Amino acid sequence: MDRREFLKQVSMWSAGLSITVPHFTIISEALAAQRQAPVIAYAKGKDYAALVSQILDSLGGMEKFVKSGNTVVIKPNIGWDRNPDQAANTHPLIVKALVEHALDAGAKEVKVFDRTCNEARRCYVNSGVQDILKTIKSNRVTFFHPDERKYIPVDISKGQAARRLEIYKDALEADSYINVPIAKHHSLSTLTLGMKNSMGVLGGKRGDMHHDLGQKIADLATIVRPTLTVIDATRILLRNGPQGGNLNDVKVLDTIIASTDPVAIDAYATTFFEMKPGDIPSTVAAYKHGLGEMDLAKIKIIKT
Amino acid sequence: MRKKTFPLNNWRRLSQILCFSLFLFLFIKTDYTGHDQLAYAVNILFRIDPLLALCTSLAAKAFIQLMWPALLTLIFTLIFGRFFCGWACPIGALLDFSQRFFTPVNKKPNSLFRSLKYYLLGFLIIAAFFGMPVAGYFDPFSILVRGLALAVYPAMNVAAASFFTFTYDQAPQWVNAITEPVYAFLRYTVLPFDQKHYDLALLSLAILLTVIAFEKIQRRFFCRSICPLGGLLAVVSKFSLMRGKSGTKCGKCTNCQDICPMGAIDQERNISPLACNLCLDCVDSCPGNKISFTFSPATVVPQVFNLSRRTFIGSLAAGAVLPLFLQTRSLAKQGNPQLIRPPGALPEDDFLGRCVRCGECMKVCIGNALHPTFLESGIEGMFSPTLKARIGYCEYNCTLCGQVCPTGAITELAVQPKQQTKIGNAIFDKNLCLPYAKGIPCIVCEEHCPTPEKAIQFRMASVINSKRETVNVRQPYIVDELCIGCGICETKCPLPGHAAVRLTSAGESRNPQNALPGTSAPY
Repeated sequence: MDRREFLKQVSMWSAGLSITVPHFTIISEALAAQRQAPVIAYAKGKDYAALVSQILDSLGGMEKFVKSGNTVVIKPNIGWDRNPDQAANTHPLIVKALVEHALDAGAKEVKVFDRTCNEARRCYVNSGVQDILKTIKSNRVTFFHPDERKYIPVDISKGQAARRLEIYKDALEADSYINVPIAKHHSLSTLTLGMKNSMGVLGGKRGDMHHDLGQKIADLATIVRPTLTVIDATRILLRNGPQGGNLNDVKVLDTIIASTDPVAIDAYATTFFEMKPGDIPSTVAAYKHGLGEMDLAKIKIIKT
Repeated sequence: MRKKTFPLNNWRRLSQILCFSLFLFLFIKTDYTGHDQLAYAVNILFRIDPLLALCTSLAAKAFIQLMWPALLTLIFTLIFGRFFCGWACPIGALLDFSQRFFTPVNKKPNSLFRSLKYYLLGFLIIAAFFGMPVAGYFDPFSILVRGLALAVYPAMNVAAASFFTFTYDQAPQWVNAITEPVYAFLRYTVLPFDQKHYDLALLSLAILLTVIAFEKIQRRFFCRSICPLGGLLAVVSKFSLMRGKSGTKCGKCTNCQDICPMGAIDQERNISPLACNLCLDCVDSCPGNKISFTFSPATVVPQVFNLSRRTFIGSLAAGAVLPLFLQTRSLAKQGNPQLIRPPGALPEDDFLGRCVRCGECMKVCIGNALHPTFLESGIEGMFSPTLKARIGYCEYNCTLCGQVCPTGAITELAVQPKQQTKIGNAIFDKNLCLPYAKGIPCIVCEEHCPTPEKAIQFRMASVINSKRETVNVRQPYIVDELCIGCGICETKCPLPGHAAVRLTSAGESRNPQNALPGTSAPY
């Protein structure tokens, strides 16, 4: 089943026209093109907005990912009631830069949200994302708390550990879905990277994901497939993740990477922590699903 | 006869509407609004309440500074009498509004059980002094705010969410074009941010509804006969400067007597300042314009409380003696380990003495963690706050409960001391916890543990799971020295039913008797 048919099912289900839960099967051919040449854009520097511009340029510009009139979802990690220095949430400057690039590319609407772990309002405020998005004077940007009514159950045909999940409608329907995680430590998944960040679009009892977490993250990745993943490694959390709180656990790298291959980018980000892609269960499971490349030798890095 | 263009009681209604609106505004503002500090004195209603000020000061054996505004109420009462009941009290306004839906059974001007409030007042004051602080059970503001915060406001959200979910799911697009912006507006203005759930929601509602339903007995029956705050204000009003003067030579009309909602006017048309709430309905209704309110003491009518000395002394004796029996319960020897008080709470006896059961902390609690106790802290502790970690947890960076507490029962803490205040300690139930009991990986609790150096840590263990496979899993354990008892581990534990990690009051820093082995401070 292709993406178009899947979206048709989603909209029919949510409009009450169908009682069959939407389901999605990946077609390996659809992914084959990606697998041939995974590219990662890499940029390092203190000016985070400039870094975002650089990596987008080296991937061919935001216009490649956002077409005029598109609905765009930008999904940062705003899961915790922590401030930007504590490296638990995506840096607000990166979120802002991506929103602005999407607007410049002609997006009809740019939606930014996360389903938080701590109290939602506190996370939005303390992460700095709320304040910084207010400085963008555009009515095409919406920064909102998820609406309970919009979680849609989706059958995951290829899911090995997760067979059905509730997923936020906006994330499913977006023309362009830009995943913007922060790279950090996590005891169970070893690291929280791109695919783990997609748990922010899940409804229901997310705690259940943690039993066989790596496989379930990969199963989710068969449905929620970002047009672009941008990993914030400006500061990375080395210990006591995923929320940290102690500045001694934070290492400043001033690095941002981006890729269209969700597996390749997670694999590469692993090296920031002096680990191997194979150490991360979700990367391995997603690779086995055929969602992308995890062999670092086969990934092309463009440094800017 | 002079026809008034703007009857006096319209001024009173206006004042009631304003005060009630202000009350609702502060009620809604009793919430996180994007800043760590609350911008308004949202608890002011409780701080101007002289009954609570008196009872909590007696219980604490000290003048409670936070409650000084209550003196203003007393000063104004000394000048104007029980104006507060007629012009400002939000529950009075609610009763005046509700009475149009009730036809009172008792239409006689005399109040039924008028003296009851004095007996109750005496009992509450003495009991507070002797260690049974139960004023909050009868205080009108406590009853009102509890009823609204724990039941009415959450139910409002249920109603709105159900309705707008129905239109969202079922209605055609053009209906949604209207309803969705309306819902968004309501959420932005009056609705709570998220759905809250509370213990004793129905009991709190029932008490509030009972107070309103008393209108069926008599108009303002609660104010006339039960309200101990009204009783206190009545005692002060005996000495008030402003008095209602009635016509001494009026005819046979009993308009004033019939219309008086407080039963303050007797057969001789004397207006009792003990009962009169200055609604001024009598002034408006008097055909001869013979009633006026002035500061001239010329026509002082002897005032009586109509108390039976024997009953009054009996109520005082009960207030002094009943607290003794509280000490005979097992609870007096061993506190309830499920009773988790909010961070900054005073030691239990002081805490209960000061807590006025107003529900402000539960209303403001951002994590829906605080709930009213039923009998966990004894019959005298009903409606005092306790943390129910399976429902909600104490948000690590939040200090709102201490900010709203009107009496200092919960001390106001800055963020850093709050983060180091231990309100309890978590314990694992290894029969439930998946990595222990079933060899299934989990540690959601560890992920959410908010202390920078995690109070939940884990060790790798080799376990045989239910398929008889040997698996390596991370098994969590608590580091007592780091655990602050926030309860997020219990809230987020993904098990259905009981959590595998549970919060108890063990180790709470307000009680040195409760220190854990290895963490005890010398005392």
